[in-house]
Amino acid sequence: MAYENTGRSTSSAPPRRRFGRRKICRYCADRDARINYKDVDSLRYYLSERGKIVPRRISGTCATHQRQIAEAIKNARQIALLPYTTSHSV
Amino acid sequence: MRNYESLYIVHPEVVGDELTALVDKFQKVLGDIGAEIVKLDNWGVRKLAYPIKKVERGNYIQVLFSAEAKVVAEYERRLRLDEQILRFLTVRLDHDFPADAAESASSTSAREDDEDTADEDEEE
Repeated sequence: MAYENTGRSTSSAPPRRRFGRRKICRYCADRDARINYKDVDSLRYYLSERGKIVPRRISGTCATHQRQIAEAIKNARQIALLPYTTSHSV
Repeated sequence: MRNYESLYIVHPEVVGDELTALVDKFQKVLGDIGAEIVKLDNWGVRKLAYPIKKVERGNYIQVLFSAEAKVVAEYERRLRLDEQILRFLTVRLDHDFPADAAESASSTSAREDDEDTADEDEEE
């Protein structure tokens, strides 16, 4: 009955359960930190191994900062500081 | 007047006097169309995250300036015309220039040779 429902919700839509600790937004915790598209090392934290932007539900970022991070990553990609994908052919 | 930050990538084979001339050219473009340059910085040759025009590395030049909005359009048009510019990005700064930018536009383009090796360790 109370199986952990790891996949997408089944047809009867059971109540969503959160397990584990709620992650906190790094940029909310540290108010001095600024999101900047040139700060490649911090932004890399929000990229998956394939170079995709990590969703909020994984990274735990708040909505405001997730938007800013996504914007910054897209800017950084434009100017070739970050990859669009890891499989850019050489 | 608004504050802008522009970053452009110069072809890595443009070095020395050629590079200085190129950077000066765009500084002049900015000056002529009424922008006030706050800072010019050469990041040196870095590896690009992906090849642009089949080039793997590029020389990053950063310019901070304040200007009217229509200046940016003209500036970008000129950047687009130059074959040696691989890519450029201009963003508006919502806040004032960072404090270290105030030390003016003199930290320029003479250092590209020794940075060639120093930048290697920034990559993964």
